[in-house]
Amino acid sequence: MIQVVYSTQHWIVPRIVMAIIAILLIAIIVTEGTARVKAGGSFFVKPGRFFIEGCDHIKLWGTLVLFIAYIFCLDIIGFTVTSIIFVFLFNVLYAGTEKKSLILSVVLAVVSSVVISVLFGVVFNITLPDGICTMAFPSFGFTIY
Amino acid sequence: MIGIPHILIAALGVVAGIVFGAIPGMTATMAVAVFLPMTYAYDLNMALYLLLGLYVGGISGGLVPAILINIPGTPSSITTTFDGYPLAKRGEGERALKIGILSSLIGGLISLVCLWLFTPLLSAAALKFSAVEKFLIILFALTVIAALSKGQMLRGIFAGFVGVLTSLAGMFSVNNAYRMVPKMFKAKMQDGFQLLPVLIGLFAIAQIFEEAEEGMRFKIEKVDNEMGQGTSFSLKDFKGQGVNLVRSSLIGTFMGVLPGVGGSAASILAYAQAKNFSKHPELLGTGVAEGLVASEASNNGLTGGALIPLLSLGIPGDSTTAVLISAFMLQGVQVGPLFITQNPETWNTILLALLVSNIAMFICMFYPIKWISKIIYIPRQRMYPIIIMICIVGAYATKNGRIFDVWALLIFGVIGYIFGKIKIPASCYLIGFILGKDLENYFIQAISASNGSLGVFFKRPIGLFIWLLIIVSVAYAIYDDRKSKKKTA
Repeated sequence: MIQVVYSTQHWIVPRIVMAIIAILLIAIIVTEGTARVKAGGSFFVKPGRFFIEGCDHIKLWGTLVLFIAYIFCLDIIGFTVTSIIFVFLFNVLYAGTEKKSLILSVVLAVVSSVVISVLFGVVFNITLPDGICTMAFPSFGFTIY
Repeated sequence: MIGIPHILIAALGVVAGIVFGAIPGMTATMAVAVFLPMTYAYDLNMALYLLLGLYVGGISGGLVPAILINIPGTPSSITTTFDGYPLAKRGEGERALKIGILSSLIGGLISLVCLWLFTPLLSAAALKFSAVEKFLIILFALTVIAALSKGQMLRGIFAGFVGVLTSLAGMFSVNNAYRMVPKMFKAKMQDGFQLLPVLIGLFAIAQIFEEAEEGMRFKIEKVDNEMGQGTSFSLKDFKGQGVNLVRSSLIGTFMGVLPGVGGSAASILAYAQAKNFSKHPELLGTGVAEGLVASEASNNGLTGGALIPLLSLGIPGDSTTAVLISAFMLQGVQVGPLFITQNPETWNTILLALLVSNIAMFICMFYPIKWISKIIYIPRQRMYPIIIMICIVGAYATKNGRIFDVWALLIFGVIGYIFGKIKIPASCYLIGFILGKDLENYFIQAISASNGSLGVFFKRPIGLFIWLLIIVSVAYAIYDDRKSKKKTA
């Protein structure tokens, strides 16, 4: 029996699901632990290494940091300019700083950001993050975010 | 219902899908997710042509790198490498590609016929479902995912339920009370996390983190010499392959129907069956048309199959069709048992769009294959920054412009990356997330109607039948789990 009380019914299913998750977690630990014991190991093992061998920490953490900075700047600067800056930075992070590569990064960043901004913001009329670099052209009926 | 713009947008979708499918590491799911924001501007018909084009193109594009450089472009083309790459090494790359493309077309068309025939039947059966059966069907979907997690059964179910729990955060629609939401986010999380940021976070952003960790070092050797010489393609390659084609397509379609299974399981099963029934099983894997046909027919068979449960029950067959659910939601269309009777035109559009997409895929790939095959040289490190930008646009626009959803995108990207590390299947999590709210609603409805008695779940014959399916799928999962563990031991 489960009594459905109006004021607390929003907790019925989450509680059941949490219980199921807890049971499953125990089941996973027990079955995998006993499998290790059977294979001649110990029940608990030290967790294996989290990052892969030869992990590129600069690119991995760089991606995270750039991503966070990108989101922070979107609302302040506006979509197009922020995107040019960060698509460029991501390109530099992933493809390096040789002169030829840098030129390609700049071109890609500017072209892709402007194309996406115009395509979505103007042609499709989708709201994009706006900020200080957003330019509205009310007489023409569109905005460059 | 169909005009030149529709055909053009389907072709655009197909080509974009092929590009995503052909670049290893980028998938059909990513293609559909990245282009979804574009559909905000279209009506439902145009959106369907675009999305189904992307879907078909994305699944098909995977065969190009699988054959030419022995790297599956999408998970479902793993088995294409077995016979495709040996053919390419003998200088018969073009022939192998063309065999693959034609098999893909036939697989796609056979699954389309299945979709057309079976969806109305399944919908009609589902119309008789009460909340009890609807609840049980979702429970069944969650156990099927697990049954096919190959030696990962418990982790699969675990991921599914964690997904359910995540989807419950927010306000419960019956009594308007919040749960599992910090006070500061109450205004933003009224209806919980949005599907789109969760999905592109798990499947696009997480992928980028993984590749960043690996250092984004991709160098692909040129393989020009493997395209031209050797035997060229002729329809004779398909002689005696009729049964194989149909069987593999049907396996693909059937595996597509099961939620969360995905293309790789389908093509592996089809390949194994082709080997079982082959007159020369020893030749498979050395570069014969037979293996290629099985693999490609089955993974395109998936496209129609995965749409069957989506349209008749509202349960997505794979992660790509899960993205389609959000496209339907955006357009205000509810998929489920009533879908076909309430939206006959949309239903016809889907069938037509899938047909057009398959034909467009064939035309866009078969003839210009020498050009298409160059796609594999596009450097991913140049694509990812742009994909990040488009994902942000998509997430931001989900609810008419909220930075909150962009943060959710990043958070679920990190979660997806961590899932990959601790071997939690993200696709199971996603299916749980999509079905979680319905699971809760039907459960509360069912027990409210029975005054709290749990016996209601065991009363009606259809319900008992679904219980039987659940038990069978769990039993199979345990059996399969043991078998695959013994194999690895």
